[in-house]
Amino acid sequence: MLKISHWTYVTSLLLSVTVACAADQSPTGMTRIPDGVYRPLFLAQDDLKEVPVKAFYLDILPVMNDDFLKFVRANPRWRRSQVKRIFADDSYLRNWTDDLDPGTNAPANAPVTFVSWFAAKACAQWKGKRLPTVAEWEYVASASPTRKDGLNDTGFKRHVLEWYTTPAAARLSPVGTGRADFWGVHDLHGLVWEWMADFNTAMVTGDARGDTGLNRQLFCGAGAQGARDVGDYPAFMRYGFRSSLKANYCIHDLGFRCAKDL
Amino acid sequence: MKAKNTILSAALALLVAGTANAADAGPASCCVPSAFPATTNFTDNSLYQTESKWTTDTGKRIRLGELKGKPQVVAMLFANCQYACPLIVNDMKRLEAALTPAQRRNVGFTLVSFDTKRDTSAALAAYRMAHALPAHNWTLLHGEPDDVLELAALLGVQFKEDENGQFAHSNVITILNAQGEIVRQQIGLNQDLKETVRILWQLAAR
Repeated sequence: MLKISHWTYVTSLLLSVTVACAADQSPTGMTRIPDGVYRPLFLAQDDLKEVPVKAFYLDILPVMNDDFLKFVRANPRWRRSQVKRIFADDSYLRNWTDDLDPGTNAPANAPVTFVSWFAAKACAQWKGKRLPTVAEWEYVASASPTRKDGLNDTGFKRHVLEWYTTPAAARLSPVGTGRADFWGVHDLHGLVWEWMADFNTAMVTGDARGDTGLNRQLFCGAGAQGARDVGDYPAFMRYGFRSSLKANYCIHDLGFRCAKDL
Repeated sequence: MKAKNTILSAALALLVAGTANAADAGPASCCVPSAFPATTNFTDNSLYQTESKWTTDTGKRIRLGELKGKPQVVAMLFANCQYACPLIVNDMKRLEAALTPAQRRNVGFTLVSFDTKRDTSAALAAYRMAHALPAHNWTLLHGEPDDVLELAALLGVQFKEDENGQFAHSNVITILNAQGEIVRQQIGLNQDLKETVRILWQLAAR
């Protein structure tokens, strides 16, 4: 028994060394996000106060029209004329000129939008990646340009909120023009909203007997009592936004980026 | 119990085989071990287009598309649920009870688990026993986390696991037509089922 645990230990040590060495080489366009913690904004009685997030890779930039064009070229069933309604509503790639031509309203280096969760997920899988979870995304997105935990950075919070309250331009700006955050990741705030793998787990209460389980706390004034940080308006808005989505929605300012396990 | 089900299934098989509509009815919901062709054409709004694979409480691997051919009453739940899930099953049994024996043969009932860790085939088999769910028309499925998320997205069901391994979730019973399209969603528990029953009657009559 002792021998076995000893070898298990050595093996796991060796493994962690291997992982540590490999970690220096993030896949192209991705950066390694170290282990961390996500603190959910809303806490029902039995919710985890802190959700551990294991180290992973995250795209530095949102997926661009040009990237998505490669995906639809290789996967005809995700072309605008061929996609099934259940997987993407009739706004799918609406700003593109044609099936294989993004055109002038969707510049090659602008984030792809008007894509459904199903399409984003399929594209990520085609790239050998996946969508980030809410926990992963929120953990990274809580960093300001200078601090890992930007929540205490009032300038950062105000900046994010200003973007949330500004209507998106008809033609979106190129990716990567905003300042990188602490992790070197661009455009988590300030360009488009993003799909997450488990967006549909965003806001239900611990009370499963409610009619739909939706978090009623969010919709009335007293609701903020359940919130971790009542001043974190941007997080409130993200929760509200996610909860309003359906997986086949295609929206003008909603895109995605990919993540990958180490 | 088991013997009774077997006899029931056999009787049912005879009955189905005896009706003129048997060919139109397509594959039975739970019992036909079919080699499912991935190329089968489903309608644009059919849930059955999903390629996810599931495992039944008897350990059989199936795609949702194999449920095609009969309207299905579908809900997501987890076996350890102490609150809402027994009520969801109860509502589904109320729907089943509202059908005539003939209609009942034309409708399938499907439960899909959120709990990818604990709801193994064995756990679901125990659930079937505990809730006396007949084998011939009730399908119990478990699957991979990614596929559970996708199905929840297709059904518009939200769910979240808490630190005790319980799931908070929407209480939704979905009626799919024979092509796998959503035709009705009953939201909430212990609701008036009249309209849902009316729709099921229509679907079962076809």
